[in-house]
Amino acid sequence: MLENLAMLGQAFAGFANGATLFNVFWATLLGIIVGALPGLTATMGVALMTTLTYTMAPSSAILILICVYVGAIYGGSRSAILLNIPGTPASACSTLDGFPLARQGQAGRAMGISTAGSWLGTLFGTMCVAVFTPTLGELSLSFGSYEFFWVAVFGIVIAGSLSGGDALKGYIAGFFGLFVATIGQETVHAYPRFAFGTVDLAGGIGLLPALVGAFGVAEVLHVMSGPAFKAVANKIDSVIPRVGDVLKYWRTILRSGGIGTFIGVLPGLGEDTAAWTSYAAARRASKEKAKYGKGSVEGLMAAETGESACVPGAIIPVLTLAVPGSAPAAVLLAAMLIHNVNPGPMLMVTTPEFVYQIVAMLVLADMMKLFFGLTLVRPLLWILLVPRERLMPIVFVLCTVGAFAITSRVFDIYVMLAFGMIGFGMRLLNFPMAPLILGLVLGDLLDKNLLRGLSLTGGDPTPFFTRPISAGLALLTLAAILWSIPGMQRRIVGLFRRGRPVAGAG
Amino acid sequence: MTDATDADPPAPTDHIRPEPAPRTDLATAAVILAFALTVLRMAIAMPTFTDRGGDPFTAPGIVPGFYGIVLAILGIALAARSIARGALRPGGGYVASTSGFTHSSIGRLATAVAICLVFSLGLIGRMPFWLAVAVFVTSFVLLFEWQDEPTPRRIRRIATATALGVATGIAVTLVFAKLFLVRLP
Repeated sequence: MLENLAMLGQAFAGFANGATLFNVFWATLLGIIVGALPGLTATMGVALMTTLTYTMAPSSAILILICVYVGAIYGGSRSAILLNIPGTPASACSTLDGFPLARQGQAGRAMGISTAGSWLGTLFGTMCVAVFTPTLGELSLSFGSYEFFWVAVFGIVIAGSLSGGDALKGYIAGFFGLFVATIGQETVHAYPRFAFGTVDLAGGIGLLPALVGAFGVAEVLHVMSGPAFKAVANKIDSVIPRVGDVLKYWRTILRSGGIGTFIGVLPGLGEDTAAWTSYAAARRASKEKAKYGKGSVEGLMAAETGESACVPGAIIPVLTLAVPGSAPAAVLLAAMLIHNVNPGPMLMVTTPEFVYQIVAMLVLADMMKLFFGLTLVRPLLWILLVPRERLMPIVFVLCTVGAFAITSRVFDIYVMLAFGMIGFGMRLLNFPMAPLILGLVLGDLLDKNLLRGLSLTGGDPTPFFTRPISAGLALLTLAAILWSIPGMQRRIVGLFRRGRPVAGAG
Repeated sequence: MTDATDADPPAPTDHIRPEPAPRTDLATAAVILAFALTVLRMAIAMPTFTDRGGDPFTAPGIVPGFYGIVLAILGIALAARSIARGALRPGGGYVASTSGFTHSSIGRLATAVAICLVFSLGLIGRMPFWLAVAVFVTSFVLLFEWQDEPTPRRIRRIATATALGVATGIAVTLVFAKLFLVRLP
């Protein structure tokens, strides 16, 4: 325990210098702007910055990415409150009560609630990272190929089932992502799969160019083809959070923090699910149900705390299992791999101090977010008023630079364009994007562990179902699939109600 | 947008866009099925390397073959669901409408795709990067903001777009090449 506290102290001391604080300052600001602008998502911001900070030292680059991530999830609520348009999908829930509050002339109060909720949410989640990561890291040491196979499959299935919308299409998106990850030379025989004789395809599809395409380019096309949004540049009251609002709803804050962090830990479920689940739970427990959807302070607080607590939560499985808890965390994982920081079960053995550095980074980003939340009101409003016709070409240029940056291959620009078109088409047909990213990131893990598991047993698949953790994960996966089939939810719930009472999963 | 009843709040995607018509889903399912079967066929055709003493369970085709099978099953499920929702009935079943994808937005989309393709496939590499960016940003802004207006305002618009284009070109080049030390295309 003392040793852990010492490592945390060292991590903070290591970051106490001007250059680091300057990076925290601009990266959090950039994150808030990216989050606030409708059409620019946290995933896109982190993906783009991963490519652009490629040449930096690993700790600086990862610090910047975490600041962008934390800032973007918070920034999304600004446009949700002021424009009724979620700046990131995660903030969709904040429109329900944030915008009605703004319409009632309480935009400042709504922003104050969002700032307080988001700040406390991230702080709560960060504490969970510090407390639970070492224990979970130890547990993950008992994971073998069979378990990792199921973690990957479970991630895809749960992201498809619960990330909102159409579960069947979520599975298709996830398995399409997994397929894309198989393109190029495999590791055992170096056989170029689906390369059609080209050297570029044999090198594989770069994860980041694909992500920049699927998020950046697809968003540019989506925003340009959609109707223009109108800002409500109304008078803004004080954005200083009211102590009364925070104290009155402390139960909601704690509950939403817990739910948000837990959803973050589950592979593949991101901030949007965290916000919706916290919101639904707060409404169920609330004495003021009638206010929900009409400007409820409690509802907005629940949504904001939930989504922001999810950010550190999503980083926990990245560090312990090398499996991302959300879409932006998937990009963060990719960034860590690029920088040769190898997260996963061995992290707590080889470089335990890294976990505490991440905790320090999250705290710094959260504090800077609070600072900007209280001071940056008018400038953010102006940024929201920048016409999309002027913003989107600049975003596209950044995407192109980003796609090219890592390997300097023109082929990566083609990959970006292709995934931009695919991502746009998928969005139009209502395919969720989170499972696609998860598939791309987890493809390698699933591929290696399925083959390794089969080789170890000479083709016998039984250990995939009989080892205790494997069996548990397999059952959870099956439950997630059954849960998504219409009509099955009621039967499963009925089954538990008739039997002994069991706490509901996820 | 929402009412404060006891029902659960709408799912995230309901808030953003409607579901496509069942017939569209049926067509999508056909494409997915064809794709999955192609993947499966190619996976089966991959060498197993057993003739070189390789472990049969490390054959390159196993994993993509597995994905092909799963995708095919999911494609069939999507097709079955769309038929159950009325894809084969006259009119293609219910349409959730309000997709907002109007004639003008198709035009805007086509313009955006075209100009982005011209930039990334045509301009990059044929001229200095800052100039390519300047030309792209200026034309993008002008194409989307062009409207019927008096000549002096039009001149101002062209000047603003050009200034934005050149500024972006120079800023992107300086920031990324000098500050972030990133190689530019």
